[in-house]
Amino acid sequence: MALYKTEPLKCWPKAKELRLKYYKDYQEARSKGGLRWTGGAWSFDAIPAGLGRDVYNVTGEPYGASLAFDKKLSMECMEATEAKGWARDLCSYMRNYWGSMYLGKYAFGGEYPEPDFCFQDHICCSHAKWYQHVAEYKRIPYFCIDVSVGPYKDVDENRLMFVVNQMHESIEWLEKTTGRKYQDELLIEAVENELRSTSTWAEICYLNMNKPAPLDEKTMYSLYVHGTLAKHNKEIADFYEELRDEVKYRVENHIAAVPNERCRLMSDTQPPWGFLKVFRYLEQFGAVSIGSLYTFGLIGIWEDKPDGTWGPRTTPMQKGETITTRDQALRVLADWNLSKPEWQHFYDPNLKTKMMLQIVKQWELDGVMLHLNRGCEGLSCGIMENRHGIAEAGVPVMTFEGNMGDEREFDEKRVMTRIDSFMETLELDIMDESAAKASS
Amino acid sequence: MFTKFFDWYEKRHDYAREWIAKNNGEVMGCFCSYVPEELVYAAGHLPHRMLGSHEPQDVTEPFIFGMFCPFCRDVLAQGLKGRYDYMKGITIAQSCLHLRQTFTSWRNHVAHDFSHYIYMPNKVQTDHARPYYNAELIKYKEALEKWTGKEITEESLKDACDLYNENRQLMHEVYDLRKGPDPKVTGLEAMVMVASSFMVDKKDHNAELKRILPELKSRNLNRDTGARLMIVGSEDDDTKFIKMVESVGATVVVDDHCTGSRYFWNSTEFTGNLMQDIANRYIDRVPCPTKDWEERSRFPHILKLAHDFNVEGVIMIQQKFCDPHECDMVPLKEFLAANDLPTLFLEFDVTVPIGQFRIRVEAFLEMLGVEELF
Amino acid sequence: MITAGIDMGSKYIKVVILKDGTVLGRAMETTGFEPVESASRCLDKAIKEAGVEMSEIDHTTSTGAGRKVAPKTDSDITDVGAAAKGVVNLEKNIQTVIDIGAEEGRGIKIEADGKVVDFAVNEKCAAGAGAFAEAMSRALEVSIDEFGQLSLKSDKAIPMNAQCAVFAESEVVSLVHAKTPKHDIARAVHDAIASRIVSMVRRVGINESVALIGGVSHNPGFVDSLKRALETEVIIPENPDYIGALGAAITASERTK
Repeated sequence: MALYKTEPLKCWPKAKELRLKYYKDYQEARSKGGLRWTGGAWSFDAIPAGLGRDVYNVTGEPYGASLAFDKKLSMECMEATEAKGWARDLCSYMRNYWGSMYLGKYAFGGEYPEPDFCFQDHICCSHAKWYQHVAEYKRIPYFCIDVSVGPYKDVDENRLMFVVNQMHESIEWLEKTTGRKYQDELLIEAVENELRSTSTWAEICYLNMNKPAPLDEKTMYSLYVHGTLAKHNKEIADFYEELRDEVKYRVENHIAAVPNERCRLMSDTQPPWGFLKVFRYLEQFGAVSIGSLYTFGLIGIWEDKPDGTWGPRTTPMQKGETITTRDQALRVLADWNLSKPEWQHFYDPNLKTKMMLQIVKQWELDGVMLHLNRGCEGLSCGIMENRHGIAEAGVPVMTFEGNMGDEREFDEKRVMTRIDSFMETLELDIMDESAAKASS
Repeated sequence: MFTKFFDWYEKRHDYAREWIAKNNGEVMGCFCSYVPEELVYAAGHLPHRMLGSHEPQDVTEPFIFGMFCPFCRDVLAQGLKGRYDYMKGITIAQSCLHLRQTFTSWRNHVAHDFSHYIYMPNKVQTDHARPYYNAELIKYKEALEKWTGKEITEESLKDACDLYNENRQLMHEVYDLRKGPDPKVTGLEAMVMVASSFMVDKKDHNAELKRILPELKSRNLNRDTGARLMIVGSEDDDTKFIKMVESVGATVVVDDHCTGSRYFWNSTEFTGNLMQDIANRYIDRVPCPTKDWEERSRFPHILKLAHDFNVEGVIMIQQKFCDPHECDMVPLKEFLAANDLPTLFLEFDVTVPIGQFRIRVEAFLEMLGVEELF
Repeated sequence: MITAGIDMGSKYIKVVILKDGTVLGRAMETTGFEPVESASRCLDKAIKEAGVEMSEIDHTTSTGAGRKVAPKTDSDITDVGAAAKGVVNLEKNIQTVIDIGAEEGRGIKIEADGKVVDFAVNEKCAAGAGAFAEAMSRALEVSIDEFGQLSLKSDKAIPMNAQCAVFAESEVVSLVHAKTPKHDIARAVHDAIASRIVSMVRRVGINESVALIGGVSHNPGFVDSLKRALETEVIIPENPDYIGALGAAITASERTK
């Protein structure tokens, strides 16, 4: 007998439709006279939006993850990249993406759609280099913004302006490259949408504090992804508001993501995309993963509240401020993005440990699972310090090794065995043995 | 002739301890060759760039995941094992994520009085980097002044810049002696000369360079030069490897490493604003691949080195897992091939399987020799 | 009360029959390609040695890589849990357990009652496990027993890379080509494995009272290297390869109560 009732998300079909529309819009952009650009999910996608309403992008990380999800195609892509001589331990999204480009195959059917330009920002050692290679290979123009000005707590005028100045430079470059006139009102609109979608996503994650949790991590992956595609897009911001309202409804009616919830966990970094069943496996023990710093803090923008808790960051619009100029829009955009939780640990793992412990406390969690993700240098940065810090704080923590985008580096059987051991230390046994066997 | 340099390199800790005893200053551990050492020196401290010890170790796994480069873990091991117990300050200038973790873990687990993280820009190809970095360096200067308790005067800063420029100039002169048909300096000697310069007072280093240079010019190594090689890639102070290469019929005549030429290739140029000049020196430096975008500006530089030093083949070495270099190796190999420069790629760890590498180097040399016949 | 513990290891299956805290019988079989058959055979052997009947066994608990397929079992426990229980039963004061199997090494931090506080397992690389020592002994053309003894004759530490088994293997080949004495190579291999293991165990912290279990504990060369790397004494409980099975049998008796 389940402890709580559950039901599928009503906006699930819409989530799926929006995602497919995004990839299709990109594919069809050129035939309609529009522009296509490619870059990272961390790039300031609100900036090219000022070029017109017919500008579409494909962001490399979610695209790489989509490829990873298709194990056969992913293998072909990896092999194509390795055949060119690239190292096997490079970012696995990048290797998938490059492979798709070399093979000329689009993950959503048809040919790899040629981008008109690359627009990126540099966060880890591979980020700028990723599109440097795409631009060279495809002989297209490339602009990349450096955001490495330190953690948000230390951002001052000089640091903010280094980013803002490059943003201004990028707009001049976009005009020159595309021959289009830049429209500030479209930029302002895109910035406002981004603030709205990322603050709303944080609100959604915030609601997961409730017991039972209305969402589980596996489901969240299918929802946070829209923010990695086009956080500046009105459709996405509207969708997140609709989703938030539905999650509120679930909270009010005690609708659980995992009907047997008796243990609450969180994970970290991107999951091994081909093996999301890890999270289903946890359910057999009555364990729900309520999310991760990655799902919360990559797309969600947060702030410390006066009462010491962590909550969705208040947008300038919510404060009654209006954005009227290009410079103001860019300042807001830079400041907002520099406060991204998932960006802070690039400078200091202790900042991440602190945030994770805050989530453990505030979301009332029983343990933490860390994915030692060999596929991502950036989000694995400092991860052993996180393990150390979390364990020191007395919170049960386990690690498992894998790779978000290269299934050859994930040992399913061993990981499941390790989860068994972790569950044992949490004194949890399998609640439904037959279901467990079916899923393993 | 290079005995002193070998001595400094091998007994780096003894030197540092003696320096502290003789001088009224501290030793500043520098992570990465991007740290603007002139400022540290002007503050009265001895900059010391930390390298590994090339020994297997078992102490870093709790703090740095094994997917990061062996060098960054080897350096942290030196701290965790207490080999730098005399060192009071640490500074990093931002570059790769690998070494950054060495710094943050050092800050967490190794005793120190002073630590500073310089947010060195990664995009050095924008003019906005200049005023930005100038302001960041001023913050570093102020932090040093606060720690030391005394002002870094314009005069001491200028003296430090001059001393560093002189060191760069002298090392250039030594490198120039490798251009001719009979190089006066082996690759091993050059490697240790540069590596020791990370560790000793530039005054001492300059004095020794000035002492040996006249003799060096008329030096006869009495060895067959063999194939003239260039070595490029990530951090490399693997003396065993270069010694082996030079024992099988080759001479390493030039390099592009942050532990080699890249460290001293350009000088500070004075325009009347000293802090800005220092900032510019690091921005204009031959870049680490992690800072070399959107253009790959390092490649033409490497080609120029190859031409200036009459290079016949290039050994590309890379620390295992070094993402910045992994992102450059494939296009670099293609670029060099397009310019008729054959390459051999080798992946380095803390220790290298010297036997296997010898076979590969010999095969490479054989290939270069065959080409000469046609 | 009589209980049985079956440890379904990837290389060997071990069974312990326990009566009121006393071991009545134990048996070991190669796992082979038919683990279920091997386990049944092993169980029969242990029962025979114990002088009891199958019907007298109140509860059987399995552990090890194949615990879910073990025959005739009532419940199971993970390797980590079983190792901890088995060790504290024999050595009360142990706080850190190092368990090295054929394919995997583990570090386990335990409390006085055998409760697991934290654990670490070596990642995918095989350089930190028993199978690697065996492969290296084959490369030197000596038996694994000789390999362990040889190592003790060496007084020379040759640094060898322990990060990756493939790299390590090519270093061994280099040493063989360089005509390095076999005993020095043996020690280098054991030092490398020990370094890999200690590195992993440091994640959970190393206390003064450390126990080593698993088949590798019979290899004196490895044990010597491990002590050096840990800089502390290592306690090897009686019948170290049966600790997992013993832990499972103890769990079985707890579960019958």
